[in-house]
Amino acid sequence: MPVQPKSSFARSLPVVAWSETIAQHADESREAPGDGGSAPSRRDILRLAGFAFAGAAFAGCQRAPVHYAVPYLVPPDEIVPGRSYDYASTCEGCSARCGLLVKNRDGRPIKLEGNPEHPLSRGGLCAVGQASLLGLYDQQRLQEPLQAGQPVAWAEADQAIGRQLDAIRKQKGSVRFLTGPGVGPASRAALAQFLKTFADGRHVVHEPRSCSAILEAHGRTHGVRLLPHYHIDKAEVIVSFDADFLGTWISPVEFTAAYQSGRRLDGPDAHLSYHVQFESLLSLTGSKADRRVCIAPGELATVMNYVAARLAPKAGLSWQDADPAEPSGGVSFLDHLVNHLWQNRQRSLILCGSQDVELQTLANYLNHVLGNYGATVDLARPSFQRDENDQALETLLKELHEGKVAALFIHQSNPIHDLPGGDRIAEDLKRVPLVVSLAPRLDETARLAHFVCPDHHYLESWSDAEPVNGVASLVQPVINPLGNTRALPESIATWTGKPQTAYDIVWQHWEKGVFPRQTQKLTFQDFWDRTLHDGFAAVTPRPLKAGPFNTATVHPAASPNRLPEGSYGVVLYSKVGMPDASHAYNPWLHELPDPISKITWDNYACLSPATAASLGVSNGDIVRLDSATQDSPAVLELPAFVQPGLHGQVVAVAVGYGSVLSQRFADIGPRWLQAGPTVGSDGLVGKNAASFLAWVKGGLRFSQSTVRLTKVGGQHPLASTQRDYHLNVPKHLDVPGRERRPIIRDTTLADYRQESLQKTKTEAFPKSDDLWPDDHPVTGARWGMVVDLNACTGCSACVIACQAENNFPVVGKDEVRRQREMHWLRIDRYYTERDDGVDVAHQPMMCQQCGNAPCEVVCPVLATVHSEDGLNQQVYNRCVGTRYCANNCPYKVRHFNWFDYAHDDHLQNLVLNPDVTVRSRGVMEKCTFCVQRIDAARSDAGGNGALPRDGVIQTACQQSCPSQAIVFGNLNDPKSRVARLAAGSRGYRVLAELNVQPSVSYLTLVRNRPVEGEGEKHG
Amino acid sequence: MASVSFSGQRPLIGGHKTAAQVTTDICAPLERRASGWWWLTFLLAFGVLVLGVVAVTYQLFVGIGTWGLNRSVGWAFDITNFVFWIGIGHAGTLISAILFLFRQKWRTSVNRSAEAMTIFAVICAGLFPVIHMGRPWLFYWVLPYPNYRGPLWVNFRSPLIWDFFAIGTYFSISLLFWYVGLIPDVATLRDRARPGWYRRFVGMLSLGWNGSYRVWRRYEVVYLLLAGLATPLVVSVHSVVSMDFAASLLPGWHSTIFPPYFVTGAIFSGMAMVLTLMLLVRKVMHLEDYITPRHVDAMTKLVLATSCLVGLSYAIEFFTALYAGDPNESFTFMNRALGPLAWGFGVMVACNVLIPQLFWFRRIRRQFFVVFVICVLVNVGMWMERFVIIVGSLERDFLPSSWTGYAPTLIELATLAGSFGLFFTCFLVFCRLLPVIAMAEVKGVLPAEHSPNAEPSPEGHS
Repeated sequence: MPVQPKSSFARSLPVVAWSETIAQHADESREAPGDGGSAPSRRDILRLAGFAFAGAAFAGCQRAPVHYAVPYLVPPDEIVPGRSYDYASTCEGCSARCGLLVKNRDGRPIKLEGNPEHPLSRGGLCAVGQASLLGLYDQQRLQEPLQAGQPVAWAEADQAIGRQLDAIRKQKGSVRFLTGPGVGPASRAALAQFLKTFADGRHVVHEPRSCSAILEAHGRTHGVRLLPHYHIDKAEVIVSFDADFLGTWISPVEFTAAYQSGRRLDGPDAHLSYHVQFESLLSLTGSKADRRVCIAPGELATVMNYVAARLAPKAGLSWQDADPAEPSGGVSFLDHLVNHLWQNRQRSLILCGSQDVELQTLANYLNHVLGNYGATVDLARPSFQRDENDQALETLLKELHEGKVAALFIHQSNPIHDLPGGDRIAEDLKRVPLVVSLAPRLDETARLAHFVCPDHHYLESWSDAEPVNGVASLVQPVINPLGNTRALPESIATWTGKPQTAYDIVWQHWEKGVFPRQTQKLTFQDFWDRTLHDGFAAVTPRPLKAGPFNTATVHPAASPNRLPEGSYGVVLYSKVGMPDASHAYNPWLHELPDPISKITWDNYACLSPATAASLGVSNGDIVRLDSATQDSPAVLELPAFVQPGLHGQVVAVAVGYGSVLSQRFADIGPRWLQAGPTVGSDGLVGKNAASFLAWVKGGLRFSQSTVRLTKVGGQHPLASTQRDYHLNVPKHLDVPGRERRPIIRDTTLADYRQESLQKTKTEAFPKSDDLWPDDHPVTGARWGMVVDLNACTGCSACVIACQAENNFPVVGKDEVRRQREMHWLRIDRYYTERDDGVDVAHQPMMCQQCGNAPCEVVCPVLATVHSEDGLNQQVYNRCVGTRYCANNCPYKVRHFNWFDYAHDDHLQNLVLNPDVTVRSRGVMEKCTFCVQRIDAARSDAGGNGALPRDGVIQTACQQSCPSQAIVFGNLNDPKSRVARLAAGSRGYRVLAELNVQPSVSYLTLVRNRPVEGEGEKHG
Repeated sequence: MASVSFSGQRPLIGGHKTAAQVTTDICAPLERRASGWWWLTFLLAFGVLVLGVVAVTYQLFVGIGTWGLNRSVGWAFDITNFVFWIGIGHAGTLISAILFLFRQKWRTSVNRSAEAMTIFAVICAGLFPVIHMGRPWLFYWVLPYPNYRGPLWVNFRSPLIWDFFAIGTYFSISLLFWYVGLIPDVATLRDRARPGWYRRFVGMLSLGWNGSYRVWRRYEVVYLLLAGLATPLVVSVHSVVSMDFAASLLPGWHSTIFPPYFVTGAIFSGMAMVLTLMLLVRKVMHLEDYITPRHVDAMTKLVLATSCLVGLSYAIEFFTALYAGDPNESFTFMNRALGPLAWGFGVMVACNVLIPQLFWFRRIRRQFFVVFVICVLVNVGMWMERFVIIVGSLERDFLPSSWTGYAPTLIELATLAGSFGLFFTCFLVFCRLLPVIAMAEVKGVLPAEHSPNAEPSPEGHS
């Protein structure tokens, strides 16, 4: 892919003197809070008090010493104080490896944003990726290597490890390197070299949210163990069998961007793909599906068998089971779907999230029958984002159990927490002669390691990635390492016996391995510089040959037995904001409301309303999940959560909780008389549900266990940010004849096409009929926003983007439970119950910057006023905190500083955006439309009222939105994108009837709901 | 006209008192040592006040977060208490000013205490707008005074500013009115007091009153003028307070009926509070001859009348909401009656509308204990009314996503209790220091044979 530099990000970051100062500062601040030692005695206090008084007296007598701020004589290259620079890099928040722009200010990264030119992520960046910045400034990240839990010098640790490795080499012992799937090609090459020095060295890849079955299935059907690259944008019909591809599956940002490009309703190429989701819990993807079919946990096989049996004859293929069992939901829809798929062959896509290799094989077969291989499923340029191998992992566990492993290295993996039988694994690990963890934090596994050799944070180190065959990208350091840590490839090289810097390793790997695969640049230096600038390079894909489809491997999947009455199938899922326990240190992610349940700081047992009613439980009641049928019985007590849209025989539990990394949150949030705890009674956030994972035929299954449910009594309050979700008024409060509240407008595609032809266009910012003349007309720019409800998936990337940009604090579970979360941007989620399930709508809700703002009138001290460009401004230092403005805000988007929220973690404070004030106790705050960005852009445009070009100003929420659901711009410019969308046929404004004149417009949600059988008519 | 209304009835003051007896009777409690009952109630009230002070201090140091408020419910106990106490105050002004202008002679026995009640209630009320601020140390920013911040003025469009003016005016006029009315009586106390701090205290307060014709003449003119000035305040203050709500756009607040509705409610609750206090004072201070069944009867009738008006207001609110057809408005009122605060609504309707209907029966009006209980219930109901209006409307407004709930914290409960502690502490101290009944005025309404010729009754000169 030719790379045209459209924007100019700063080039590589030179090793900056500034970041060293930051690092020093970080060192100092790290010591400050923890150096308590012994408590001061009474004498000490008196002495100090006396000194302080004397000091104060003296200080009063003379002028304070004058400190001059002297500018650099020779300023650091490329750095202007107070200006931020973007560096292109690659996100290592998960293994998807999205393109990244790191916003650096005064030598430290303060915000992560999506790289808009990246071919996969296309400018989006998910919540987890953005929050990974906080990990850099984590007080509890390991600062130096540990030996048996005690700090040790690198040289000593290396020597000790080296001695043991030499012994192993002599004895021909087995060495295993357990990593996550996200190890970059350069590191992998180094790792391969390292393992080659042993007689029996092997690299094992483990991912808590495994999709190993897809690779296995392709091994069966195509002869290569590969993860295909899915082109969701090219699919007209997307049928997902339990794959949460917009939320947590493989590469959600990339998939969301692709999904949305197939669902654009505005512009000349308007069309809407048709998305059907089969699932038993309500996932983020299911919430966006045009048609969501709720199935029992084991029913996936029946459904897929049926689809295969009906589809195969159409392609002239025979199917072994001509008369398949009918799923419980009836077949009329499935028949319709089969027709629809067949009409859209080569333009359809079957995705399967199951960990059952048989089902994955069946999914491959469906894609094969539909001719999707080569069209929407790419095996020639497969994805390298995941290469976990559950079978190899199981073998490793067996070897560990049998004591066959002489040395185990662990990087980005926490088997004790993430796998079932963690206690047994821990016992086995204790028998391994050498366990080396490269974990940045002391997680469950690192605590048992003989050596912990902490890896850098990825913003401190050189590394690379190749998420998809042919898309090579670089990870560059944007700050000097804050601690005495060491990059993974450096550690590997040292233990191999050939110490090299990470930079050299990556450079050499690229010179030899990547440079020959490109043709555009003549010299490697040019290529390197260009790639470093862009963050990625399109190169010739590595030649990988998938065999022809082997139909012989495909046969109907065995349907599991129906669940007996009174038992429930556990479906383990991972939350959008907490993919696995390695993020359990991250307070931003813990406080991010789950997009579906809107609950923060916990995992819980999701039950359908019917199940909850039959058990007599409501939200927060503790239920016991008891899997008596398994060989290793698992029991877990969790708070219940009533989740509409869930199958009645399902209890869904999020994994990735209950990690020791969450112990740190014992004291988070304001402390006062009636403050409640954030952590549970065990000192952790949530409970670890890994014990319900099941090993079946060499694969980790997420929905295998069946449990009995009992209510045990007791309450564990859940902190939800949204209590009510009905657009309809509760029945007993309804005045007959009232309609659904028009907060969300949704329609079907057919209706929309008819309506949009009829509807005349409105103004972008309609004038109201006022008695009084407009005394302050907004003549220049009027900033406005459009949020496309059709595009918004609720993924909450914008919420974290807003948090990183606007410095709002984490308040802890108890405060969230009291509905005092500080998120300036929230995503409202509404359910509309239908006969066949629930319709879900996500609505980002932020300050609507009303033209006729009700908050402004009532403030006694003029702390909230209107700007000349139509913004509703909040003046923090004038605010006295009467909260009248919040009461009078119909959108309830104002947030009050109920306490002095803690900002005493000086290291973590480095993440604060210097452009945005940190608010003190007792003042109101709210979304400002990122006024600091508007001002910066206006200033760049030349001042004197000159306006930046349309699209130059991007609010934080807009920038990172993977589906580009948010558009910002000048409503007074009829040619601007925002004005055209707001005035378009889908535009509407929430509560416009109050004449508050909101500057935010929403675009109607359009669902593609072809009437069953319609497909044939139009086919 | 006034004399007509009571003609043929029993005299206002019982026991065939002479003017001298009146003075002795009313001064007696001040000249006795405090009784055990007084100490008991005082310590109780003061203890509760201390509790409140502790709670408020804690809140000032830690933050408003120590209250049960949230993102949607920005006001709850604080402004409920504020409106409640402001409302209590209204009866005092009504009795002292409006009834004075209407020549309701029965007011003389209760006006002193009622005015004192007004002042203490306004003090209690005035605390809340200050402590409810996020940064109360900057409360003076709501005052329009010349400053070096621009100068930066207040927002004259904000009802909170109007509030400040209304309450400030109300407090100063009430205090002045009360004090001017006190002067002849303090002079009496001065003349009777033994030398000591108390005599110096009342001596100072009496401003050299010598009882001469000129002094009396001027006193009465001033009193009449102040009554005239205070009269509009009865209507204006609570109207302005109601604007805090009416000027917003929140369904359940945004309502044109609010000013008269709030004024009626205020007089209603104030009357009930006066009755509560007077029934206690009458018993404890042995003033049965001065606060007679006729007084109680007149006041219960006022309570009954205002109760009916309050009930009418409730009905009109519902009618308007359902008739207007605004879905948000109609939902708010359905929600008020049947939603999560339905219990509060029930308490409010029962206490404010249904139970006071018992006052239609003369027998009930004569049962002082029953009257006392009903009056206490009325105040419970009126507090609940403000709570239901404020919290009920806030916790469920336009967007269901922002619906929340509200539960008070211990700090809020202690603050509410503390405001009662402050009120009763002030009132009990007042009972010990100053005459609870306006002696000079009571003498004016004594039956003719006992009326002192030297003291012209106030209406003689108007």
